[in-house]
Amino acid sequence: MAIHLSRRNFLKTASIAAASVPLSKVVAKAETGVAKAPLVPPGSFKDTDTVVGGVCEMCFWRCQLVGKVRDGRLVKIEGNPKSIDNGASICARGNAGVKLLYDPDRLKYPMKNVGKRGAPKWQRITWDEALDTCATKLKNVIDEHGPESLAIFPHGASASYPFHFFEHTVGTPNVSEASFFQCRGIRDMAYMATIEQPPGENVDMPNTKVIFLLGGHFGENVHVSHLKRYLKGLENGAKLVVVDPRFSASAAKADIWVPIRPGTDTAMLLAIMNYLIQNDKYAADFVDEYGEGFEEFAEGIKEWTLEKAAAECDIPVAQIKEVADLLAANMPNVAIHPGRHVSWYGNDFQRQRALACLTGVLGAFGVKGAFVPPKGPKGLKKVSWPHGDHDPDLLSDYADNSHDFSPPGTPTDLIRDAAITGKPYPIKGCVIWGQNPIQTIPNQEKTIKMLEQMDFVMCTDVMPTDITMYADILLPECSYLERYDYIKTGTQWNFADEHQQYIAPRMPLVDPEFERKDGIWITNELAKRMGYGEFIPTKDQVEMVNTRLAGVGLSIDKIRAEDGIHIQPGKDPYGISEDMTVIFYNEDLEDAGYPPIPTYIPVERAPQGYMRLLYGRSPVHTFNRTQNNAWLMAAMDSTPVWLNDKVASKLGFKEGDTVSLENQDGVKSRTTATVKVTPGIREDAVYIYHGFGSINPELTIGHNKGIDDTSLITKLAVDPETGCHGMRNNFVKLVKVS
Amino acid sequence: MHSTESQAPKLETELSTEASLLSEIYGFLALAMRYPDSSFLDGQFLDAYEALLQSLEWKEEYADMQKWRSQTGDFLNDLQIEYTQLFINASPGTTIPPYASVYMDGDRSIQGKTTEKIKDFYRSCGYEVTSSTEPPDHIQHELEFLAALAGENRREEETLFLHSLFRPWFIRFLKHSIQEARHPFYRVSIQLIDFFTKEEQ
Ligand code: SF4
Repeated sequence: MAIHLSRRNFLKTASIAAASVPLSKVVAKAETGVAKAPLVPPGSFKDTDTVVGGVCEMCFWRCQLVGKVRDGRLVKIEGNPKSIDNGASICARGNAGVKLLYDPDRLKYPMKNVGKRGAPKWQRITWDEALDTCATKLKNVIDEHGPESLAIFPHGASASYPFHFFEHTVGTPNVSEASFFQCRGIRDMAYMATIEQPPGENVDMPNTKVIFLLGGHFGENVHVSHLKRYLKGLENGAKLVVVDPRFSASAAKADIWVPIRPGTDTAMLLAIMNYLIQNDKYAADFVDEYGEGFEEFAEGIKEWTLEKAAAECDIPVAQIKEVADLLAANMPNVAIHPGRHVSWYGNDFQRQRALACLTGVLGAFGVKGAFVPPKGPKGLKKVSWPHGDHDPDLLSDYADNSHDFSPPGTPTDLIRDAAITGKPYPIKGCVIWGQNPIQTIPNQEKTIKMLEQMDFVMCTDVMPTDITMYADILLPECSYLERYDYIKTGTQWNFADEHQQYIAPRMPLVDPEFERKDGIWITNELAKRMGYGEFIPTKDQVEMVNTRLAGVGLSIDKIRAEDGIHIQPGKDPYGISEDMTVIFYNEDLEDAGYPPIPTYIPVERAPQGYMRLLYGRSPVHTFNRTQNNAWLMAAMDSTPVWLNDKVASKLGFKEGDTVSLENQDGVKSRTTATVKVTPGIREDAVYIYHGFGSINPELTIGHNKGIDDTSLITKLAVDPETGCHGMRNNFVKLVKVS
Repeated sequence: MHSTESQAPKLETELSTEASLLSEIYGFLALAMRYPDSSFLDGQFLDAYEALLQSLEWKEEYADMQKWRSQTGDFLNDLQIEYTQLFINASPGTTIPPYASVYMDGDRSIQGKTTEKIKDFYRSCGYEVTSSTEPPDHIQHELEFLAALAGENRREEETLFLHSLFRPWFIRFLKHSIQEARHPFYRVSIQLIDFFTKEEQ
């Protein structure tokens, strides 16, 4: 820079005043944002208020919160002391919601991509321009190819309203929710096919005698009231059985840790059941009364001796027997946990069916410590988009395997394959709402191919993520701390306590900033512009919640006056309904060409030189959703690679070595991580946290931190009954970097 | 005594001319830091911008601006993309958030303790940020506030604000912007802000 005039000299000479365009004229064109206000003496103190009605969404568990708010700024989040669920407790992530709220990398304004998909260049635009563009482009796709040509990838409470608009009213069946197709859909459908209800995580752990976990790693997997139930059970003396190839946080507390060969769980479950039946150690009366097709089932699993399973599962016969005997000795007061994220090996429906059947064999329904669904409040009204008269053309009707037991929506790979091949029909418009399909759906290359061929991609989110890089229009949504949407209901966490029910609608703790909008507003505006204005079911988020609450004689104002949670007397959840059935042998499955009794389907084992890639949760993260959170990343910002100590010494790896991973298809991780050498994992597997290593450089903290396990899951496994993905059938080797 | 008395009114006039010019400059720079739209960011704005550079004798910067203006097909569009890249969201990750709290509060946060302090300072001077989608510690609002203070010739408060609440974060922002702000308009604007807010030696 040249030698400049000093500011004082410049102002003195004031030559600018004589310039042809006076600054004053230019400045006068726009109004200043700073205006005269009543004088507030310096040092005057602003009170911190407690704002009630928060419902956490740092994970799906939805603990009830209060916010400490000073002068419009959220300074702290706490558990709502009135809560009979999480109580005053929240987890690290719940606490760190403040950092999500005020993350400078958060989406702030609607933007259009003036660069390329995958390599975006953003331009802030007005909401009008954004909505007009989305409406026109989506309408064009529908007009040209029909409503089915829209693919919807939603996630989270705020995504239901928009995706129901597209599914019911616009008429596309091509909706793929990660929480179904890459998570719990398999569990829900398997239990539906066995006990005719999705199980939730409804086991009465505080009052049980045995907790049986298959892969559940509580402690690393943190959901406050769930953890309270589990810990109360242990405190009350419950025995803990943990089946996991890894010495997880739960395994560390277990009475029996079963380090099973990955993918073989069903074999073990069948052997346990067979042993119990053969030795008359099962709940015969219960089975008589509620079982259906038990004989065929018992006959069909006969081949599963303890010895056969032991060989398959690579565990001692004695250990399977020990587990079976422990369960038998304590039945029916045993908690066979249904799990939650169960999309593992592509044979998962069968394993989940086996778990439900095991619960039946032990008679562990409706009694203390068993499978006991809570009796929560009833009567909330529904507000939903009406169904149009379009008869949707289903991709499953064209598929070799129609996945007859698919959870609601369309199996992801049917959508993705149709998009890539254009067959049986083209998929040309994509709406992504709160989901990050790059990190939820295996085989990223295919996902990117699907996106590249779209005519239009619209994304709504709170933060930039991997997927937002592929948007044409990117819309900023209010976070869970700034909106109304979900109404959380439930009961007191421990059934041994006084029976109570609660209703806690999510209310904002602070106002939204920038131009962030709630999902109902965005959807309604879009619907109007697409010509569906007359079908709009509710005018705004407040009306929506009030309408729903009116069904139980409540309102937002009433509940706010009750400190954010309405509590009412509850009902005894124990007991078995008369129409309870445990379907051991399912004819519908048989008719559809699937095994009618739980059946073990072996999966490929690790090829020479490779180990199976297992993934799980970090206690302080919710997968990639917390990847840019300053506090949580300060606590854990990497994905240590768990490696068996014997393997490590054989291959020459030491604790702390920096490695990259390379999978069976030669795909290398983009980033590196350090090795954690431990006897606490089998020799045929490695383990990392899921949800790290984001490719989006807009995430100042999260970009490229740790290894993105999904990038290494290239080989696809699809569960035949449900069409859900199995994501633990890929194998990696470690490559030393330093 | 006599001579001092006669000089006093003259000094005041001079000061207030200076102050009102400074107020205009702050106001002008505040606009440069605001998301550009056609209501204010037009040819006339850029003419005034160039005039300011000329009268400051910032020849190189003036030339850069002229060059850009002669090359760009659509200056508003250009600036909107550039603004979004620099101050809102960008890939590759090169944003420099224009908020004091992000630089002052240790853990990169919008609406931090500093935001609160700045808001309180505004209020203690009888001002408040209204009708804005941005937090009060956005550089645009800080400059608007400085414009308001200068317009009332409140030198002491202006100096105090610059010293305690503006410069400490601005110098960090400036350092980042030197690495990131490649576009002449924003690079030069930030230099201008530096020039007009720097304490005189
Ligand atoms: S478990 Fe933690 S993150 Fe999940 S809802 Fe509760 S406080 Fe929030």
